Amino acid sequence: MIRRGPRPRTDPRRATFLGLSIPTALILLAFLLAPLALTVSMSFHEKLTSDILGPFEPTLQHYQRATSVASYWQLLWTSGVMAFVVALVATLFAYPVAYFLAFRAGSRAGLYLILLLVPFWTSYLLRVMAWKLLLGSNGVINSLLVGTGVIDEPLTALLYNRTTVVITLIYVWIPFATLPILAVLGRIDARLHDAAADLYASPFEQFRRVTLPLSLPGIAAAFLMVFIPTVGEYVTPLLVGGNAGIMYGNVIEDYFSKSANWPLGSALSVIMLGITLVLVVIGVRIVQPRRLLRT
Amino acid sequence: MHPRRHLTTPPAAAVLAIAAIVAACGGPGTSLSPTSGPTNPPATATAGTPSTAPTETACEGDTTADPSVTGELSVFDWSGYDAEIFWQDFKNKYANVKVTFDATGASDADIYNGISTGTHTEDVFHPYTGWLQFYVDEGLVQEIDTTKLKNWCKVPDSFKQVGQINGKQYFIPWDWGFSSVLYRTDKIPNIDSWASLLDPQYNGHVVMWDDGPGAVTVSSYVHGWDETAITDDQLAQSKAEWTEVLKNNPTRWLAEPELVDSFENGDGWLAYAWQGSYATLLNDGKVPVAYSDPTEGRNSWIGVYGIRTGSTNTDLALRFLDEKLGDLTGQNLVENYYYGTANADVMAGITDETLKTAFSVNDPSILQKTNFTPNLTKDQREAWIAMWSEAKAEAGVQ
Repeated sequence: MIRRGPRPRTDPRRATFLGLSIPTALILLAFLLAPLALTVSMSFHEKLTSDILGPFEPTLQHYQRATSVASYWQLLWTSGVMAFVVALVATLFAYPVAYFLAFRAGSRAGLYLILLLVPFWTSYLLRVMAWKLLLGSNGVINSLLVGTGVIDEPLTALLYNRTTVVITLIYVWIPFATLPILAVLGRIDARLHDAAADLYASPFEQFRRVTLPLSLPGIAAAFLMVFIPTVGEYVTPLLVGGNAGIMYGNVIEDYFSKSANWPLGSALSVIMLGITLVLVVIGVRIVQPRRLLRT
Repeated sequence: MHPRRHLTTPPAAAVLAIAAIVAACGGPGTSLSPTSGPTNPPATATAGTPSTAPTETACEGDTTADPSVTGELSVFDWSGYDAEIFWQDFKNKYANVKVTFDATGASDADIYNGISTGTHTEDVFHPYTGWLQFYVDEGLVQEIDTTKLKNWCKVPDSFKQVGQINGKQYFIPWDWGFSSVLYRTDKIPNIDSWASLLDPQYNGHVVMWDDGPGAVTVSSYVHGWDETAITDDQLAQSKAEWTEVLKNNPTRWLAEPELVDSFENGDGWLAYAWQGSYATLLNDGKVPVAYSDPTEGRNSWIGVYGIRTGSTNTDLALRFLDEKLGDLTGQNLVENYYYGTANADVMAGITDETLKTAFSVNDPSILQKTNFTPNLTKDQREAWIAMWSEAKAEAGVQ
């Protein structure tokens, strides 16, 4: 006789999901949401105090200060445009790489993926500093041009400007932008291509009408994954941007590290966060990922 | 520091919130720890006004090892200052005391924020002049009983006064140096004024220190303003002038190696600089340089050590401060990092020609011609930093 056990009260898949996700959720809560909440709270404090969790009388003085400086708004706009360009170009460059890994690399795809990620075995700072060595007045490019007699004096325009910051950031982000696109391309059923071919679609038509539409969610994810953090970037402009390549993140950093004015730095951070979220929501409304998924 | 990266592939909707939050916290990089050496010391200010260069004293400290002293001591210091050579005398004398450093300070604000918010509870900390008043006003630092310091007699009175606030000794001076205009003599024959940093004829080659108080200090020297009473109009004028400088010159420096590199690669011709960069360039010998004696006077800065209020480790802390003033520690500071020491015997014993030049040892009146900026209020300091931040933003968007 088969003895039936008691019916489980919960779905085991649900229990597994909870078991797997709770640790991550706790980490996010502790190290992402809690600091964010503290940042928002700090922006309403009059000054930095040791008792940040204690009661306080909220003030808007730091928001008034942050919003009253025209150049901060201009810099935020400039940083947004730079982030858009970086995200767009990095995604455009990343797509062919992901396409190759998904459809052409075959059994060597894993090896190529590791090679793609090799740069991350070295320090971020080291990689950005390498650009400085490449583009500086005594750098590789200038030394080559001067050494071969192409120019008499080193080109100073190669470093310390906005273009250099954008190019460096594109280089930094391309491997990351590749990953979400690769994940989406990897899920495309190869039989769809066969079906398209059976219907006399040329390779280009197969790409345009099958592969590209199905990979749009990955493209959107890659774009946003680059765009959003780049708006607040400050290390790269600090290293290769010079006076002309400064970004909004550098202003925030000033108030945290050079001044004891964390509340003003927090207010600037919250403003940037809010505007970035609004931009992303607008972008998502325009792109409509769900519609893309149905395409 | 390493960048934050997401190696997973979340769909667009899921990545939004996380990535947007990341945006508010900075981009792929995080904070910078400038260099391995103590390259970020000075806020340009001191409370006292040393008028004479340290000269040799008849004082003898006690270097006899004392293994009977045991325990643990913690120090909150700047990046690089935890190197053993900077507390060599203490290490030699008290071998059985364990010293733990938190050498994560990267700015005066870091030190102040750490102590004032209670996130740092080390026994000893290392601020610079210009920031001292805050610690005393807020009760963050203990008064020091200097009768217990055997090396105290090696410190000139004028330097001792730097650590005195409201008539009490709260800090002991340790490292010090000059700020002035450093320039390449093959490009510019002579610099005799701080105003050269604002001079459009040098556009493209001025390398300013990335520091608001430093910028306002220069403005006050150039225009003859009272540095302790800068008005809103003066601050606006200073901002306009520095915006032009930032707009017309490619870069600024955060850490001394950047400044040295810019001179040696040909980009920089003149700069706001500490004597350490001057000495480094003299030693390297790649480009000819000089360190100006501006008619307005040089600026000088002094680093001090204090004992945190609440520390019950006062005995060990005092021993540590005492040995910081020891001869070997002072020699290491001077010879390895080209910083001055408050130990007058060490300064008087400098024989290296480069160091003598860098510290103007042969000019006994050098400190009389030097500006030691008085302490500032918190409001003043924040206004100056805000000015500089806004000037950088304006220059960056033009």
